[in-house]
Amino acid sequence: MFRILCLVLRVSASRCYTLAMSKENKEAVEKTIIVEHLVKNFEVTERKPGLAGSISSLFSPQKKIIRALKSISFSINKGELVGFIGPNGAGKTTTLKVLSGLLFPTAGFIQVMGFDPWTRRPEFLKQISLIMGQKNQLWWDLPAIETLELNRAIYEIPQNIYKESFDELVELLEVKKFLNTPVRKLSLGQRMRLELVAALLHHPKVLFLDEPTIGLDVVAQQKVRDFIFEYNRKHSATIMLTSHNMDDLIDLAKRVIVIDKGQILFDGNLKELVVQFAKEKIIKVYLSKEADIKKLDEIGKIKRFDFPQAILAVPREATAVAAAELLQNFPVADLTIEEEPIEEIIRRVFRGEVIKKKNG
Amino acid sequence: MGKYLQVFKISFQQEFVYRLNFIMWRVRNVLQIFIVFFLWDTVFSAQGRQLFGYDRDKILTYVFGLIFIKAFVLSSRVQDVAGDIARGEIINYLLKPVNYFKYWLTRDISSKALNLVFAVGEFSLLYLILRPPFYFQNNPFLIILFLISIILAIFTYYILLFIVNAIPFWAPEMGWGGHFLVTVIMVEFLSGALFPLDILPASLQNVLNFTPFPYLIFFPLQVYLGKITGFLLFKGIFISTIWIFILWFFMNWIWKKGFKVYQAYGR
Amino acid sequence: MKRLLYYLRIWVFMSRNSFLMVLNQRSVLLIFLAGKVLRFLFFISFLFFLLKGAENLAGYNSTQTIFFFLSFMVVDTTAQFFFREVYRFRSYVVTGDFDLILAKPMNALFRVLMGGADVIDLITLPPLYAATVYVGKLLNPSLENVFLYLLLLVSGLLITAAFHIIVISFGIITLEVDHTIMIYRDITSMGRFPVDIYKEPLKGILTYFIPVAIMMTLPAKAFMGLASFTGVLSALIISILFIFISFRFWNFAMEKYSSASS
Repeated sequence: MFRILCLVLRVSASRCYTLAMSKENKEAVEKTIIVEHLVKNFEVTERKPGLAGSISSLFSPQKKIIRALKSISFSINKGELVGFIGPNGAGKTTTLKVLSGLLFPTAGFIQVMGFDPWTRRPEFLKQISLIMGQKNQLWWDLPAIETLELNRAIYEIPQNIYKESFDELVELLEVKKFLNTPVRKLSLGQRMRLELVAALLHHPKVLFLDEPTIGLDVVAQQKVRDFIFEYNRKHSATIMLTSHNMDDLIDLAKRVIVIDKGQILFDGNLKELVVQFAKEKIIKVYLSKEADIKKLDEIGKIKRFDFPQAILAVPREATAVAAAELLQNFPVADLTIEEEPIEEIIRRVFRGEVIKKKNG
Repeated sequence: MGKYLQVFKISFQQEFVYRLNFIMWRVRNVLQIFIVFFLWDTVFSAQGRQLFGYDRDKILTYVFGLIFIKAFVLSSRVQDVAGDIARGEIINYLLKPVNYFKYWLTRDISSKALNLVFAVGEFSLLYLILRPPFYFQNNPFLIILFLISIILAIFTYYILLFIVNAIPFWAPEMGWGGHFLVTVIMVEFLSGALFPLDILPASLQNVLNFTPFPYLIFFPLQVYLGKITGFLLFKGIFISTIWIFILWFFMNWIWKKGFKVYQAYGR
Repeated sequence: MKRLLYYLRIWVFMSRNSFLMVLNQRSVLLIFLAGKVLRFLFFISFLFFLLKGAENLAGYNSTQTIFFFLSFMVVDTTAQFFFREVYRFRSYVVTGDFDLILAKPMNALFRVLMGGADVIDLITLPPLYAATVYVGKLLNPSLENVFLYLLLLVSGLLITAAFHIIVISFGIITLEVDHTIMIYRDITSMGRFPVDIYKEPLKGILTYFIPVAIMMTLPAKAFMGLASFTGVLSALIISILFIFISFRFWNFAMEKYSSASS
């Protein structure tokens, strides 16, 4: 309430924060990231092809507004690791960029550790880190150690602290061997781990990870994942992670925010996502004798049939009925009812399938 | 022959795809002409001044002639060869039933044709802006020899570029450096693209005349202006022809060597 | 003051890095060094022989003309030394690495403008300065004129900085850097000769639009005692104006960037 008042009065965000802290309750202290009714519109100039076109669009530009974020709100507590998922172009990267101060919000209120990210104050930037898969901060033709040294100067990290966190990161990420090799000669996985070292030397309290495992092989993915988990646990850093990799989310994030077309569709526990979004349940039956598949098909969608096991997908509401029918009409040796696998649901989210909350 | 016609067409179209690059290259040419024009216009501002064997008409004709000669001789696509080699893309061409040298010659000709069209436009435009006096050569014999010297210049420059652009066979990262040293620096100064070489002392000119550089730009323009005639003219044509042969053999030799190194590295 | 030291430290770090990068490829370094030295020597000898025949260029004698050229080189090469990183800017924007630069607690403009000092120019600058001092001595300037010369060189360098800032800002909006910077360089290269040789409308462009006259010619003129007080004063005002405009343009470009889609 108070914050919205501040917005109306155009009080600067950090001032507002202190005001809010004293007047409201202490809850605000715990919340590292606060986003309220964030709107981000892009103005895109449509370019006509050809030289004549580009000249004419210079004088009478055809502008189009793209609504990347349509009033999203959420907050993240200190030390939380939140997965941010949605299909391509849903607004995930845009949100991360707004939160790290690269993009100016069109409307709404955002606050990260009490700062207004857009002011890009050094004190703020020294406490965050933005890591984007496939984007480099390492100097391409030089060994990574040179970039690390440069970052020490940029972030003004005292020598002893630098040494400590350098040793820790290098050991955790197992990159000692590559420190003195020119970056361009490294594999993507080795490079990404070094990117992580470079991004975390200053012990950021908030991490924005945009597709950190993109393009990596399975082993490298696992290394990066383990590291993120470890870093979150050890330093109780607040982490926001977008990924297209299911394992990233399942392994790391307890809480997920599903976003599509600039709107938040779900915000909560990963397990609840399943309960809320799964349309079907999975019934596994073990048959004691051969049975007619066609008849099975009448009960539910056969996902796999590999005698003696049959896997059926049935609508949630009809689960009990289906199970009863199976037990009655088939030679069932064993039967289990399971939730739809989480991968399946996340996959649907990535595909951008309209996922509706059940019961409204 | 048909396939080279096709190459010509595609190459011509490609210049349009990268039209911004092309237009910028033309703009830069015009800017350079401005510098040279005003420089000489200032030097010859006094009435009836004669210097280095030029009068005002002839020196400004020299400057304006540069627009054409540069479009004819110095516009080329062969500088892309170095990148082809460095990136290993040259293999794509070697697998095709085309002659690599003819392929690039065709692309060069297409590039020259396009540049020439623009050169005519720029020439007219600059002529209207600057209104220079112009020296017309009306001796048909000299005009024919002028054209012959241009054709020789085109071949000389083409082969020279092919030699320089072979450097990445040995050192992939040196492609642009070699090009910069030889074709940007050396050619610009020693060919007469910036100033007519006869302002240099005679001894220096004598030495330069035994290198291939003056025959790229300076020599053809001298022929047009009628400043070189008789024995010296044929001597010049003779020397530039000899250079074409020397460079040609050198080019073949160096490319053969280059391919061997290339295969050995397995790049 | 503390900020200044901070940025100085970072600049030293970044320059060291970019030197290392070039020094790793020694043959490339040598070939470019050779090219630059050769071009310089060619041009000096061209001027020498030209003036030997023509006796004067727009009223300037041979030593003066060479001094104009050297002053041009001082401004041009010093600017190249500091602002070489601009030539790499396009790739930062195209690949999106620019985002990571923006997320750093350091002025992003400083990083993309001065983050890659050129070691080749570091090698050529001392002899160039020495040559300029040598030729300058031949002109017997008064102490006051030397002071004005140095002051105007600094103001010229400010204008080059402003242009580089404008070029990268333009690059943020249009993704076009390489051609703009080459056009800029071609136009400034007109300053190799005293701008007196150019006629209108070119002369006007070189005085007001891309003030080559102020960046390169005026310092040398002041050195020869040929600049008026109002000339010097307006040069200083114009250079500050240019810096001001370039910062405004940078801010404008950043605003565009931060409200544009990636």
